[in-house]
Amino acid sequence: MTTPGPAVAPPASAGEPGIVVQGVRRAFGPVQAVRSVSLHARSGRVTGLVGPNGSGKTTLLLMLASLLAPDDGVIRIDGIDPVADPQAARARLGWMPDSLGAWNALSSRETLVVTARLYGMPKPEASARADALLADVGLVELADAPARVLSRGQKQRLGLARALVHDPRVLLLDEPASGLDPQARIDLRLLLRRFAAEGRTVLVSSHILSELEEVADDAVFLLAGATVDPARVEAAARRARPWRVRLATVEGAAAVERVAAALGVPVEAVGVDRRDVVVSFESDEDAGAALRDLVTKGLDVVEFAAAQGSLERTFLDLGDGRPPQAPPPPPASAPPAAAPENGAAS
Amino acid sequence: MSGQRLGTIIGLELTQRTRSVAWYVLLGVFALLLVIVTALSFLAWGSVPQPGAAIYSTIVYITLLLIVLVSPTLSGNAINGDRDAATLAPVQVTLATTAEILLGKVLAAWITGLAFVAVALPFLVVATLAGGGSPSTITVSLLVLVFEVGIIAAIGVALSGILSRPLFSVATTYLVVMALVVGTVIAFALVGFTVRSEVTTHYRSLDYGEYTGDTYPCAPGEEPSDMNPCDDDVELSCGEWTTSTYEVPRFDHVWWLLAANPFVILADATPTQFDPNGYPRDLFGQIKFGVRAAQQAPELENRYDDCAPYREGDSPTPREVIDQSTPSWFVGMSLQLLLAAGLLWWAWARTRTPAGRLPSGTRIA
Repeated sequence: MTTPGPAVAPPASAGEPGIVVQGVRRAFGPVQAVRSVSLHARSGRVTGLVGPNGSGKTTLLLMLASLLAPDDGVIRIDGIDPVADPQAARARLGWMPDSLGAWNALSSRETLVVTARLYGMPKPEASARADALLADVGLVELADAPARVLSRGQKQRLGLARALVHDPRVLLLDEPASGLDPQARIDLRLLLRRFAAEGRTVLVSSHILSELEEVADDAVFLLAGATVDPARVEAAARRARPWRVRLATVEGAAAVERVAAALGVPVEAVGVDRRDVVVSFESDEDAGAALRDLVTKGLDVVEFAAAQGSLERTFLDLGDGRPPQAPPPPPASAPPAAAPENGAAS
Repeated sequence: MSGQRLGTIIGLELTQRTRSVAWYVLLGVFALLLVIVTALSFLAWGSVPQPGAAIYSTIVYITLLLIVLVSPTLSGNAINGDRDAATLAPVQVTLATTAEILLGKVLAAWITGLAFVAVALPFLVVATLAGGGSPSTITVSLLVLVFEVGIIAAIGVALSGILSRPLFSVATTYLVVMALVVGTVIAFALVGFTVRSEVTTHYRSLDYGEYTGDTYPCAPGEEPSDMNPCDDDVELSCGEWTTSTYEVPRFDHVWWLLAANPFVILADATPTQFDPNGYPRDLFGQIKFGVRAAQQAPELENRYDDCAPYREGDSPTPREVIDQSTPSWFVGMSLQLLLAAGLLWWAWARTRTPAGRLPSGTRIA
């Protein structure tokens, strides 16, 4: 999968399909939960919403779900303003909250039937839809058990099924993967990809960045209630990035020396993490060239991988506004063509 | 307003309630209390010639009392309890409107309260079979009972939408209901005694001191007889007119305060049966008489003249008082409806989504 790119503006026209947010603010009393959010989650794509705790992700999703009115700014769900016409927006959006409240006395099947009925589905159709969704999220065996006996992960799956009841065109998921076992996570990923492939819009917030990385096409970074300027995201994404190199048989200081020698960089520019050597490269091209160098110089490279996912690195770099913690220059040997470009970007 | 969505919300509420054991325990306790009350009222009213009406009204009153005590717990956390359990937002995000959610919850709480009326029905049948209660009494009293259950349900649901803490809103519902039940009586008494009028009494006595002898003079209008051997020939001397004043409470200005009391509405709306002397046969009639008598303005100028022929004071019977006064039940029902509708409107404004200002300390989801 390609690295998720920034989904922050260019300003999209309000009538476009997908989710368009422009200059949205929302305060709770003195607390400014969302200060300035602009984003465009395109239809047919999965957009990740990334940000630390308290950055306003849930508040933003509540506004998109038509539950909370923004103090200012514009929201369009497939061209519909959820503030002016919540009914129309609700008919096309599915929302999965972070804290799933289940009706404890009701079974999973009843929960889905009730929800479908609230969306105006006739009884037989609601019942059929519930059965199909239970199969989709793997709750068939627990279909008639009261929701209070479900585990956290099972409740989470029920919440997902509930969000899908009315076959929404736009899906808003708040931390959908929390509490899910590995198999359920894979299922969730496939389901989201399928949704996007059907031309729907998916917006997912998550803390599990490696998960998000695997499923998201685009990413929106939210810091202290504001979407991060795409140029800043771009810059963060372009910063030097650590790579992990493992050699067969050699470890530690010996490995560092050999790698440094092979790449022609000072020993101080190369770090050690447990059995691995850590080297920073400005770009994927640099890393590729370096691997070629290492192999050409006869080193037995058994592992050569990015030490961090790109989302995670960008997130951490943006996180506290501090400069990237990559080792200082000089950079590792780079193809001459790449050098000026990198210099211009950073 | 969609019937299907409304029905779904009512069904959802009722399913959750009927699946809790506590609910059946409550109904059982309720039935047990009614058994005791019915037995006691048969004993208490046993000496009255036609005890049925009295027993019937006692049981209806006890039912209303128990409903007043139980209903706030059935509805007082409908909205904020759901919000705490994070089950409100998933409903709000569907096509169900705020009005449908509120109304659905009110109707569900109403139906739940009516289950208590249903439990009371066998006891009412027993009382009716015991010889009392005309069909009109039974019909009207049941209708008022149903109305009161609905009002309390509406107040409870509304307060749960206005206040954010379930415990607080249940307590407030109790306070509002108690304000109707007890507060109206207190207000009636206090305000009635505060608004006073001066009564002036003019009195002239016979001056018996002027008269000496073995017999006594006949009072004006009296004829001597064997039973009353007065002396008709003596000239009576009349005393001086004296004037005195005192203050009386003006309950006739504040009678409408009592009208909002559920027990008064029940009594006032129910057609009263009278005995041959014009006295009501049941509790409803007695309370109705009390309330209607409060409507009568006191006489502010009294004249007592011993020198004038004595006129037979013809104080009206309860039946006459009731027949000549204004029925207050519709005033009370209107006040209660106004209160419930106003609170519901407030709750609607507070629960509406997309939410503008939120009560502090609440989370949408």
